[in-house]
Amino acid sequence: MFDRIDPRSPTPLYEQIAGRIRVAIAAGELEGGHHLSSVRQLASTLRVNPATVVQAYRELEREGFVELRHGAGTFVRGVSEQRKKSERVRGAAQLVRGLLAEAARLGVNGEDLRTALDHELGRKVP
Amino acid sequence: MSDAIKTQGMWYRAGPDFELHDVSMSVPTGSVYGFLGPNGAGKTTTIRLLLGLHRADRGDISLLDRDVPKDMPDILQRTAYVPETPHLYPSLTVAEAVRYHGAFYKAWDESWTDELFDRFSLPPNQRISKLSKGESGKLLMLLALAQRPELLVLDEPTEGLDPIVRRDILGTLLDYVSEQGATVLISSHLVHELERICDWVGLMDQGRLISEMPMQQFKNGIKRLRIIDPPGTYDNTPFEVLAREPVNGGVPGEMILVQGWSADMAGYFSGVGASLREVVDLDLEDGFVEMLRAYRAG
Repeated sequence: MFDRIDPRSPTPLYEQIAGRIRVAIAAGELEGGHHLSSVRQLASTLRVNPATVVQAYRELEREGFVELRHGAGTFVRGVSEQRKKSERVRGAAQLVRGLLAEAARLGVNGEDLRTALDHELGRKVP
Repeated sequence: MSDAIKTQGMWYRAGPDFELHDVSMSVPTGSVYGFLGPNGAGKTTTIRLLLGLHRADRGDISLLDRDVPKDMPDILQRTAYVPETPHLYPSLTVAEAVRYHGAFYKAWDESWTDELFDRFSLPPNQRISKLSKGESGKLLMLLALAQRPELLVLDEPTEGLDPIVRRDILGTLLDYVSEQGATVLISSHLVHELERICDWVGLMDQGRLISEMPMQQFKNGIKRLRIIDPPGTYDNTPFEVLAREPVNGGVPGEMILVQGWSADMAGYFSGVGASLREVVDLDLEDGFVEMLRAYRAG
């Protein structure tokens, strides 16, 4: 799940970690009640600063995706279908923004992009 | 929050050609502080001063709120040091070296030592002189961690080690840091490694500490900007301009390197009749190289 954590990216590491977990929850890979790795475990596995993991978990808690139970750990909260959907929409918007920025750099316009997108969607990617 | 390491106006003449120049550094308690700088910048000299292995000509140094060198015995009980070059007796076996080392520390933890032996798969009966480079790197980390330090000072702890050993060593270090909330000062040339684990960076060059700030601030604040119709001089900027140079390949405009940037500052350029065309993110290594270049150019 954390394969593509990139310390060189301008996106802060805590945000990347929180983002991966958010996406997994929105996609239904992580269900309500799932016990997330402890801060110590995850920091050690990802070789990141423990404070970074704490910050990621706090952010997810603030957004209502996880629950920090004192002494027991961090658990995924039950999230409504509506919320999962809006999270996916948010993820899609983010992808498109990145795509548009990259396209602008390459001199590709919106029309070209739309054509390419329709074409690729038509290819029924698995 | 207090600082686990603090120096105030530290000067030290190491020889006719090298001097540490007014170094004031602060390593916040609980941080993992990456100490960066090219070879010969003075990182190792600074570290040796912190540990009382040299005496500063001027300035104040404190570790864990105690004075260097006056309170050195207490500081060394609570501080682990991994030097650039190992200081182990080559004729001892690994187990003997561990026993010998352990005798100096009150907080030495036997069961944690056993666990570290397992994790690092170290051969207890092997002589130090026969250890591979990776094994001796692991042994040094074991010795540092088994004393249950509040502060770890690591001088190039993964230099010359293969990626698997580096992973083992750093993973175990971070495990300890999460559990104990210890403070770490780590110098390394492997900038990407530091980028992962550090939340503070200090940048040293030619005997001076030229920058010290939270990692995120360092990474977010340093950008390269492409400017069309640039003004003759950049006056009253909300950011600091470190360098200006033409764009390569005959593309119009110029590139400027800025520090203290945030996205809401883009409006500055239209105010001076210029336009901001592109904001290039720099990773820690690029930021570090650019900052050194700008610093050396004055």
